[in-house]
Amino acid sequence: MEFKKFLLMLTGDTDQTILSAAVQLCKDMDGKLFVLFVIEPNRVSRLASLTHQKVKIVYDKTEENGWQLLYLVEDEAVENGVWTSLHLEEGSALDITKRYIDTYQIDALLLKRKDESKRMFVSSTIPVIGL
Amino acid sequence: MQLKISEYLKPEAIIMEIKAKEKLAAIDELVAHMVNNKLVSNGEEFIKALAKRENLESTGIGDGIAIPHARTNAVKGLLLAFARSPKGIDFSSIDGKPSYIIFLIASPENQKSEYIMALAKLSRLLRKHPVREMLRNANDPEEIMKIIKENEE
Repeated sequence: MEFKKFLLMLTGDTDQTILSAAVQLCKDMDGKLFVLFVIEPNRVSRLASLTHQKVKIVYDKTEENGWQLLYLVEDEAVENGVWTSLHLEEGSALDITKRYIDTYQIDALLLKRKDESKRMFVSSTIPVIGL
Repeated sequence: MQLKISEYLKPEAIIMEIKAKEKLAAIDELVAHMVNNKLVSNGEEFIKALAKRENLESTGIGDGIAIPHARTNAVKGLLLAFARSPKGIDFSSIDGKPSYIIFLIASPENQKSEYIMALAKLSRLLRKHPVREMLRNANDPEEIMKIIKENEE
């Protein structure tokens, strides 16, 4: 099986450490990189409650952080000659990821290895690569 | 660091009605406009950097918006430009629709963090439907500037 289209899924929990690895993998495989940041309303509400902040403030920070992550990946991808497509969505990370896999006919899903990603590993219909 | 995108957009970097009908011609027209207004010194290098990125991704982010961008030493500092296309231009947007509002962002190679921050702030601002509508209906560069200033956070 040839891997040509990769989907890197990011959420508010993702740190920057996986970005370079994702770009490098796509470069090595001569693949296209779709980068998706998902704002999860449940997570935003939970975080707002835990930190005693307004939901809007946490939402705005999450969104801005999301765009920054997307453009950081893109900047590195361009330096490495890797094709990218950036996306930001709001909703359930699991549902949106599944939709993207179908819509863009993704070959492999790239995720940060974390306990929270387990549900993706379990329910994904395509290979999942933990970075 | 608080960055206000309105501080980097000048009235002379605004084209209310761009003539170009396709994306590379639109980039050429915007850059030529910036060179004519002495905002960019090396137009050729600038276009090359923007075109390189256009070949590797779609800068059409959907909802009628395109944000061509590049880090290049053809510019002295962080710089924004704006253009509007009444009929829309195909920027290979992720939603397949033409782009009516085009924002160009550039920064020198060594200003990566400001550049990323400006892209993030602008993308966030343009996700707001009322802002997009106001920008499409604005009458002059001053109104464009005012809309951005009043709606950015």
